[in-house]
Amino acid sequence: MVATLLTIMVVLLLLNFPMMIPLMAAPLIVLFMYFPNLDPMILMQQFSTGIEPYVLLAVPLFIFAADIMTTGKTSNRLLDFIGSFIGHVRGGYAVTTAAACTLFGAISGSTQATVVAIGKPMRERLLKIGYKDPTAIALIINSSDVALLVPPSIGMIIYGLVSGTSVGDLFIAGIIPGIIVFLSFAIYSVIYAKTKDIPLANKASWSERLKMTRKALLPLGFPIIIIGGIYTGIFSPTEAAGMSVLYAFILEVVIYRSIHLKELPKIARSTGLVTSAVFVLVAGGQAFTWVISFARIPQMITETVLGTNPSAVYVLLMVTIFFFIGCMFVDPIVVILVLTPIFYPAAMNAGIDPVHLGVVITFQAALGSATPPFGVDIFTASAVFNKPYLEVIKGTPPYIIMLVAISILLIFFEELSLILL
Amino acid sequence: MNLLKGLDKLILKIEEFILSYAVIIIALMVVGKALSRALFNYSPPFADEVSQIAIVVATFMGISYAARKGRHISMSAFYDLAPFKVRKILAIFIPLVTAIVLFVLTYFSALYVYDVYDSGRVTSALQMPAYYLYIFIPIGFFLGGIQFLRNMWINIKDRNEVYLGTDAKDYNDQTKHEVHEGTHL
Amino acid sequence: GGGNGDENAGGSEGQTYNWKFVTEEVDGQVQYEYAEEFAKRMKEKSDGAVNIEVYEFGGLGSETDQVEQLQNGAVEMAVMSPGFTGNMVKEGQIFALHFLFPDSVEKTQQILNDSEALNKDLRGKYEEHSISPLSYWTEGAMQWTSSKEISEPADFQNFKMRTQTSPLILESYKAYGADPTPMSWSELYTALDRGTVEGQENPIFFIGDASFYEVQDYMTISNHNNYVAMTTVNTDWYEGLNDEMKTMVDETVSEMQEWVFEEQKSQNEKWLEEIKNDDENPTEIVELTEEQREMFKEKAMPVRDFYRSDVSTVDGKILDKLQEEIKAAGE
Ligand code: NA
Ligand code: NA
Repeated sequence: MVATLLTIMVVLLLLNFPMMIPLMAAPLIVLFMYFPNLDPMILMQQFSTGIEPYVLLAVPLFIFAADIMTTGKTSNRLLDFIGSFIGHVRGGYAVTTAAACTLFGAISGSTQATVVAIGKPMRERLLKIGYKDPTAIALIINSSDVALLVPPSIGMIIYGLVSGTSVGDLFIAGIIPGIIVFLSFAIYSVIYAKTKDIPLANKASWSERLKMTRKALLPLGFPIIIIGGIYTGIFSPTEAAGMSVLYAFILEVVIYRSIHLKELPKIARSTGLVTSAVFVLVAGGQAFTWVISFARIPQMITETVLGTNPSAVYVLLMVTIFFFIGCMFVDPIVVILVLTPIFYPAAMNAGIDPVHLGVVITFQAALGSATPPFGVDIFTASAVFNKPYLEVIKGTPPYIIMLVAISILLIFFEELSLILL
Repeated sequence: MNLLKGLDKLILKIEEFILSYAVIIIALMVVGKALSRALFNYSPPFADEVSQIAIVVATFMGISYAARKGRHISMSAFYDLAPFKVRKILAIFIPLVTAIVLFVLTYFSALYVYDVYDSGRVTSALQMPAYYLYIFIPIGFFLGGIQFLRNMWINIKDRNEVYLGTDAKDYNDQTKHEVHEGTHL
Repeated sequence: GGGNGDENAGGSEGQTYNWKFVTEEVDGQVQYEYAEEFAKRMKEKSDGAVNIEVYEFGGLGSETDQVEQLQNGAVEMAVMSPGFTGNMVKEGQIFALHFLFPDSVEKTQQILNDSEALNKDLRGKYEEHSISPLSYWTEGAMQWTSSKEISEPADFQNFKMRTQTSPLILESYKAYGADPTPMSWSELYTALDRGTVEGQENPIFFIGDASFYEVQDYMTISNHNNYVAMTTVNTDWYEGLNDEMKTMVDETVSEMQEWVFEEQKSQNEKWLEEIKNDDENPTEIVELTEEQREMFKEKAMPVRDFYRSDVSTVDGKILDKLQEEIKAAGE
């Protein structure tokens, strides 16, 4: 059964089929072949279940807000403001991108939303000052990853429920690994900018900075509304995505008048197109998960690989591999729900701290969603930036190397997550 | 022929309208709920449900629109390396098989809609029949299947170009040097 | 659809049965533990002929999906909360009514075991949809957690209470003067932490497991209703079982009632202790006086009329009968 699933997936994908076809056809074929008594209708309910979670609404909303902002003036004013402070620093834009993605991802709780909201404007600026597109996209995708690791992390909340572990402890434990990831990206960005000789802007004078700040005053309301709104509890993360649409609308349509009200449906249509292209894959991924869970494939595989009384390092290694692979196919939250209970008992037997296990799992879930061949963040980037698949993944290897190295560190040094507790 | 063209245009307009307003409705519902709770201490119970209906509608009604524009995500790594002739053959074969799969999905999702209709289930906030929501799934699959057949047909008809969708020519032929530029990383 | 558990006929003696049992909770929580124990007992009784695979929540989709999977026979058995079927079997929303059952969880369980209104009339309603509830059991009384103390209805004034979206539940909290705020589970922890919503309701073991108490300052032991679950089977499949198997299932169902009562009791007590003793995340436990409880109950009573007129499809007949039974049990 596993062989059938994999063969269908791989062959159809390599042939350049729209990715929704293998994701939707493979479970259907497996059902026909191995569960002839089952009604294939079962898979149809999964399509809508996959895209119904309320938190997913943040994705189209942030796409919409970003579309409005980049069509109008807001986005450029914000970027000019940032540029006047860091434009003359080696790797300044790249480090800022990494920081903005990490921060925004943590707060919005959605890696996909981050790819859109921060990635879209920052990518344009990175390209303008001389970065190659694959490099820019890889930086964006991977820094958005860290979102899953930094509180309030949705991945950790789900892990906390499934395992009964304190969510508060998990939040604290994710801080150091999150900082390590961010620092490695930042250092890499500086080195990259130096070796590739990315041109620098002249250092802006304080009067120029003041001018840019003044122009950016209203656009700076964005981070205030989003971050402030969520932290003070006025809005949920999804609602903050909605508020950013409202604010973008007020700025561009009402205040700057750079977009006419009539143009809004056209912008929304482009948002809808991108949303559909990504969400059919989320829907298909859910059906795929259903078949795998129903047939007990994860249990079958893990029973074989775990054996009896595995060591702690071995269990963590398997956790790393399985979550990484799982998240290549489906939404990290679903993977955490399905795989955690399978590994948890073995991990406890091996004496692994449940909080540390949670950090390792969340880390792998994040890493998996940005790693080729499959990955929701890659899909999102491909759809939002309208770039062929190869262009999107070409720049990722350096980041994968860094993340894998940090994974190994995490396996051997549980202090990295536990020391702050 | 004119009738068909007119029909095509009409469907395009409807698809565009649905996509646009599904997104706008989501924004209105989410913002409306947040503001209403913050300002008036009242959370309209229907807001989440309407958003969720809109996202299902956008997702499935968007299948054919994305197919027309050649915007479905695929793993084009190997395809991009292939010569014109291979790409041409694939551009006929892939939409055909895709259309067949989508028609099969249309069939089963229509059965599912009937099943939900039969159960009498209603949605939790609006208390409206739940099948209203699911009916967009078979419709979306069906329109998607038709559009992929059209994508196949335009590749058969026009021998000199490869089309990713009826409104989108293959980027491999259009922007050769741009893609080439990006490859030395 | 019909039930179709895999049955490998090898002569009537050597027949084996493979059934699937799906739950709405994860490993360690009450429903899952119930299903595991159920599977274990069936295996023992049948000398290994019955093999039940237990599915925890997550891989098979939403709770509503799981209901449909039972209905069309993809799974044979399910633990189901009536709340997730309330949009199909309206009468099942009866369990959402506040202060309907006695304050004592033990007495409540006794009524759930014996009630004809539930085990015959309500079961009939479910069977119209191919779902047979074989038993009803409590996972514990529901409690309120909150960011400010809740000990009488006035405390709910302008209080943002996270609830599910059903009109009956919204009505129940409006009756106290609260602002019921529908919110998805995945956003709830953060929302409680930041104060986007100020309170929620759940049994104690779930409040502990999901860490909600970490981001709440008070827990009111309100026992305002019970989290009731049902052991359900696909009707056609169940009717098609041979007598021996059917008796074995029925027997196990009935002996599990006592087992699950003890299970929920020990889980809820364990978590109550843990929540009380967590000094890092202090939570004040609020006990209601009999008077305060009466105040809530008084506000909750009119919601029963809403149930009769706006929810029930039989003018509240099952509720009326159940109320009689509850009254009789109290005497
Ligand atoms: Na991936
Ligand atoms: Na607390």
